[in-house]
Amino acid sequence: MWRFALKACGRWALALLGALLIAVGVSALASAKGGYGAALIHTLVSFARLDFGTSALSGQSAAQELAAHLPVTAHLMLFGALVALILGVPLGLVFGSSTIRRVAAPLIQIVSAAPVFCAGLGLAYAARRLGFEENPSLLDGLLLPSVAVGLAGTAAVQMVLRRAASQAQDGPFRIGLRRLGLSAMEIESVYVAPQVFAGLLDALGEVMLALLSAAVVAEWVFKSPGIADLFVKSIALHDWNMAALILFVFAGLTATADFIGRIGARFLVRAAS
Amino acid sequence: MSTWRRILMAVGWSGLGLIVIAATLSEFLARNALGALHAGAPLSPPSEAFPFGTDLLGRDLFSETLYGLSTTVAQAGEAAVLAVLAGGLLGFVTAHLPRPSAASLRWAVGAFAAIPPLLLAILVIAATTRGMVGLAAGLAAAPLAFVRAFDRARRGNFSAHSAYARATGISASALLNRDLAYEFRDTFLPTVARALAAVAIILSTMSFLGFGAIPPHRDLGLMIAAAQRSYFQAWWTAAFPALALMAFILLARLAAGLDEGERP
Repeated sequence: MWRFALKACGRWALALLGALLIAVGVSALASAKGGYGAALIHTLVSFARLDFGTSALSGQSAAQELAAHLPVTAHLMLFGALVALILGVPLGLVFGSSTIRRVAAPLIQIVSAAPVFCAGLGLAYAARRLGFEENPSLLDGLLLPSVAVGLAGTAAVQMVLRRAASQAQDGPFRIGLRRLGLSAMEIESVYVAPQVFAGLLDALGEVMLALLSAAVVAEWVFKSPGIADLFVKSIALHDWNMAALILFVFAGLTATADFIGRIGARFLVRAAS
Repeated sequence: MSTWRRILMAVGWSGLGLIVIAATLSEFLARNALGALHAGAPLSPPSEAFPFGTDLLGRDLFSETLYGLSTTVAQAGEAAVLAVLAGGLLGFVTAHLPRPSAASLRWAVGAFAAIPPLLLAILVIAATTRGMVGLAAGLAAAPLAFVRAFDRARRGNFSAHSAYARATGISASALLNRDLAYEFRDTFLPTVARALAAVAIILSTMSFLGFGAIPPHRDLGLMIAAAQRSYFQAWWTAAFPALALMAFILLARLAAGLDEGERP
C-alpha cells in the first residue's frame, strides 16, 4: 500500500508540474513581444516567486482576481457534486444491474446526447414556465447553475458506476465464491459493492473533469461570476495571465481528484479483501 | 457483439449517412438562401410555410437549421479525424516506444488531458485564428484519446501474447504492426463515430460561447446562442437547432456502439 501511495504521490506531483508548465506557457504569451523564449523564462521565474502577474481586465493581481471569483465556482462545484452523488449513485447502481441495463441503455443514450448548454437553457425555460420568474434571484442566483452542473455530474457518476458494475459482473471470483457457499446477497454486498465503489473512486478525475466542463457552460448560461466565466472573458480579451492561472487551478483540481480517487480506490479494495 | 447492439450501430450509421446527405444537399433542400432576412414575419411559430418557424429577423429556421447542420457536420468530421489520428493512433504508437520516451510523452500529453477539452479548444482558438475551429476541437479532444489509447496499449504490451512473441524473436516493429491492425481493423469506424460525438459537443459549445463559427456561416451552437434572446417567447428558435444537434450526437453515439458506461 505504501509503495502504491508513494507512486501515486509521484504521479500527482508530476501532474501538478505539467499543469504549472502549461500555465507558464500560456502566461508567457502576455509578454511575448520581445520573444517567446525570453518571456517563458521570465514567467517561470515569476511563478517560482509566486508572482502570477496582473489581470489585464481589472489591473488587480491575477491571484486576487482569482480569489474574488473562486467562491462562486466552489459553491457551484460543491453543490453540483452533491447533486451528482445523490442522483448519480442510485441511478448508476440501478442502471448497472444486468436486467435494467438493457432497457435503460437507449434512454441513457438519448439523455447523454444533450450538451450541457442545451440542458442549461432547458432548465432556465422550465423555471420560467413553472412560474419562478416572480423570484428572479432564483434564476440569477446559484441554484439553477448548480443544478445544471449537478446534472452533468450525475451523468458522469452513473456512467462510471455502470462501467464498474459491468466489469464486476463479469468477474471470475463470483463463481468461486458461490461454490464456497456464499449467498448472492453476501457476494454483492461484501465483494462486489466495494469493487463498484472503488471503480467510482478510481474515476474521480473523470468526474471532476465533467463537473469543471459543466461549470464553464453553466456560469456562462446563467451569468454567474465564477472563475470559469472569468476564463472565457479572459481568453476573449487575451488576458493571458488570468487565463493561465485559471487553467492551472482546473488542471490541479483534476489531478488532485485523480490522486485522491486512486488512493481511495486502492484502500477500499484492500479493506474489502 | 450482441445482435441488439449491431442493430443500434446500423441505425446510427444509417442516420449519420442521412444527415451527411442532408448537409451536403442543404443548398437544394433549403427553401431560402443562407441568412435570407425577412423570409416571413419575425418569430412566426411553426406552420406549413415555415415548418420550424422563423427567428427574430424573420429568417426561415428550417433552412437555417439545415445550413447550421451542414457547418457542424463538416467541422466535426475534420475534428474527429484529427482527434483519432493525433489522439488514438499517436497514443497507441507512443506506447510502443522505448520506456523513457514513452513515459515522457505520456506525462506531457497527460498534463493537457487534465484540462477540460472545451477550455483547451477555446485556448487554441484564442492563440490562433477563429477560422481553425475544427482544428481546435480536434486538438482539444486528442489528449484524452491519446491517454486512453496509450494506457490500453501499454496493458497489451505486457500481456502474455506480447511476451511470447518477443520470446520467439518477433521484432518490436512487427509486433506494433500486428497490434495496430488488431486495434484499428475492427474498431476504426466506431472510434471515428465516438470522436464525432465528442467533438460535436465541443464545437457547438465553443460556438455557443462565441469562439466558434463566424457569421454568416452559423453552426447549430451559434444558432442556439442567438436564440437566447427570444426562446422564452418563441421556443422554436432554440428547440429545432438543439434537436438537430442532439440527433447528430445521438446517432454518432449509436454508431460508435456506446454501452456499459463507455464515454465518448
